[in-house]
Amino acid sequence: MPTISRWMIRFSMIYFLVGMIIGAALLMLKAYPMYPALWVALPIHIEVMIFGWIIQFTLGTGYWILPRFIKGNPRGSRILAYSMIGCLNLGIALIIVDTFLHSDIFLGFLGRTLEAVSVILFISLHWDRIATHRN
Amino acid sequence: MPFISRTFIKVGMIWFALSLIAGLLIEINAAALPALFPLFWHMLMVGWITQIIFGVSMWMFPGRTREEGFKPQKWGWFTFIFLNMGLLFRIIAEPQVLRSTSQIWKLLLVGSAVSQLVAGVTYLIEMWPRILSKEQQRKRRKEMRNN
Repeated sequence: MPTISRWMIRFSMIYFLVGMIIGAALLMLKAYPMYPALWVALPIHIEVMIFGWIIQFTLGTGYWILPRFIKGNPRGSRILAYSMIGCLNLGIALIIVDTFLHSDIFLGFLGRTLEAVSVILFISLHWDRIATHRN
Repeated sequence: MPFISRTFIKVGMIWFALSLIAGLLIEINAAALPALFPLFWHMLMVGWITQIIFGVSMWMFPGRTREEGFKPQKWGWFTFIFLNMGLLFRIIAEPQVLRSTSQIWKLLLVGSAVSQLVAGVTYLIEMWPRILSKEQQRKRRKEMRNN
């Protein structure tokens, strides 16, 4: 498994644990609504589980498992791949911060933009790898 | 494909079908079941998507034990049991918590939360050491052979 995939999968598992802890707390809150202010964490739970866990895990696994190039760097530019990890995780972090701060400086918009850049980087890195070497 | 992965994927498919039925019931307003909306999303995202990720990763990731059975794959089986038990508890208890004041449903909902969290922890115990590079994988295989 390449380093980039290992980083993405480890990050995704950390997000998974954080998301599960938040989810468990919110579910307990449905039974015993002692700290209703905790519901502010619901969008964080959704963000962390969808982008942090599911999307990051699948992108990391795809980077590892899709067919490699025969010539040159087998998985394409490493700089672009590291940028993909950076953009995705910075994007998630900014959206989480924005949930707490409700900032006027478009942190949420910036976060989503970084996530979109990360996805575009993933597509550009993998488009030509979705191929068969049989023909 | 090991038996544990097949079990994860097949049970995941059952949750997938159930979630779509729940989705249909929401659309046609046919069920007077409270909390159907969060249940639909959790059957889909936990029961199906997370479960298929678990099953496929336990099969595809390096460092898998070739031995079948509960003991050699205990963390995987604990994950399967706690995840599905937690989800089932939630489906039973969440609508009841909204309808009744009985403590039993509240405790079952807490049990569901704890059970799913434990499943997350046992999954990490199984999978974290299996995030290996090719070199680490070779080293591990050598160590296993020497033991």
